[in-house]
Amino acid sequence: MSATEVMTGDGPGAVDRAGAVVAFTDVNKSFGAVRAVADLSLTLHPGETVALLGPNGAGKSTALDLMLGLRNADTGTVRLFGTTPAQAIAAGRVGAMLQSGGLMEEVTVKELVSLACDLHPKAYRVEDVLKGADIADIADRKVNKLSGGQEQRVRFALATAGANDLIVLDEPTVGMDVSARQAFWATMRGQVDEGRTVLFATHYLEEADAIADRVLVLHRGRLIADGTAAEIKARAGARRITFDLDGTVDEPALRALPSVVGLDVTGPTVRIRSDDADATMHSVYAAGLYPRNLEVSGLGLEQAFLAITDAASAEEAENR
Amino acid sequence: MKTLVRLEIVRTLRNRKFMFFSVLYPGLLFLIITAGADKTKKIDGLDLTLVAYYMVAMSAFGAMTAVLMGNAERIAREREKGWVRQLRLTALPGRGYVTAKIASAATVSLPSILIVLILGATVKDVRLDAWQWVAILAATWAGSMVFAALGVAIGYVATADVARPISMLFYFVLAMLGGLWVPITTFPHWLRTLADYLPGRPYASLGQSIEFGNAPHARDVVVLICYLLLFTGTAAWLYRKDTQKA
Repeated sequence: MSATEVMTGDGPGAVDRAGAVVAFTDVNKSFGAVRAVADLSLTLHPGETVALLGPNGAGKSTALDLMLGLRNADTGTVRLFGTTPAQAIAAGRVGAMLQSGGLMEEVTVKELVSLACDLHPKAYRVEDVLKGADIADIADRKVNKLSGGQEQRVRFALATAGANDLIVLDEPTVGMDVSARQAFWATMRGQVDEGRTVLFATHYLEEADAIADRVLVLHRGRLIADGTAAEIKARAGARRITFDLDGTVDEPALRALPSVVGLDVTGPTVRIRSDDADATMHSVYAAGLYPRNLEVSGLGLEQAFLAITDAASAEEAENR
Repeated sequence: MKTLVRLEIVRTLRNRKFMFFSVLYPGLLFLIITAGADKTKKIDGLDLTLVAYYMVAMSAFGAMTAVLMGNAERIAREREKGWVRQLRLTALPGRGYVTAKIASAATVSLPSILIVLILGATVKDVRLDAWQWVAILAATWAGSMVFAALGVAIGYVATADVARPISMLFYFVLAMLGGLWVPITTFPHWLRTLADYLPGRPYASLGQSIEFGNAPHARDVVVLICYLLLFTGTAAWLYRKDTQKA
């Protein structure tokens, strides 16, 4: 079974699209010969926190642009709350923070946030938005004199100026240091707790792991995985087994053990990537081996992500 | 939307360098062009001094420069920086954006017109009735909005690099055919007919009719209103439709 077949279960989304927050149906978008988004179908449900992952050039930004109506699909349909993106935005149901979104210059942070509140049909009070984005202390500063992390917070304030049902964030924590990132996600959790649907694209996989209850992986414009972080890790062959062996290590024998996905031997140290650690270890003992310093650990989402995107690339190369 | 209009005006006022040049440039040009002119010399066949003619022409020309050039380039730059993308994620309608941009342009054009008129009255001894001064100011100011809208539209079509040359081109053609540099009476007949239906000439003649003591011609007003609707409509449409990453 190829990775693509395994991973692209449409989940519950395929069944019930009526109450969908976001619904992509067979969406394609090309720029010249490059297919930025290919046959993309996905459904987001109310209250979900969804991470959108993918290597650079995977089509994340294009997918978000299509979702927000900043670009039009070549074929297929994009619906937000059952309407067009433009209608959903005009109704004040969507807040978005774009990586490419510039800010108005020569005005103060507070003036800019007041503008966002003024334009939002279901706006919050300016003071509350400033506080919510943790920028009350820089409210009087000029927008063009902010650090990268502060700018991101201002963008976040613009995206949360009113009672949106969907919040879309493109790489929201780029340019923030670790503590700022943690503070940011604490703020974001507040939004999630209020029942918002949140979709964020990120490069920091630990963020996806910690925050998202659903992870989408895009690769060359295609959706190659859709599930919880745990599911994706499991499907990628997600246990790492490490132990030492006395005497010479019989590599072919180890490779033949059940559930082994990857093997790496350095001197006496054996590293196995397995999709069923119990079965693998059982047969290690059954083979009469006596492993020392045994460690079994879960793969991080990062390794899982690399494993499935590599697999997708390899498959693509084979088909070519 | 009120906040957007207010912020656009405020940040234009805060941009001192831009304000300084846009506001003073028409006045300086007026002084330079009329430097050697005899203050009492009248234009051939007209009961109007050359200096008065140039005063009205330069106030119109200057306002046009300020709004056309300033708008086009600033908008193209804003688009490149992604502010317009961010703004498109709000409920702001296209006409709201265009209105705010025209309002900020009008903030620049009003003082630039005023300065030319004040220089005319004080340094160049131009004498007109009180109502004429007020009417010239009002008409020239209102007319400048047509070119502000054109500036918005150009800012939308062009990248920041070419916005300036493109607006220069428009502005030379419109100013030239508008008789803002040389009296239009020197043009061949076919060119004068063409000029009547481009926005430059009707714009200049608003103030000139008032100088002669008449109301502006209805046809000029209609032509200008048509262009205003055309340019604002195009600009608003481009704002909503713009799918370039830029």
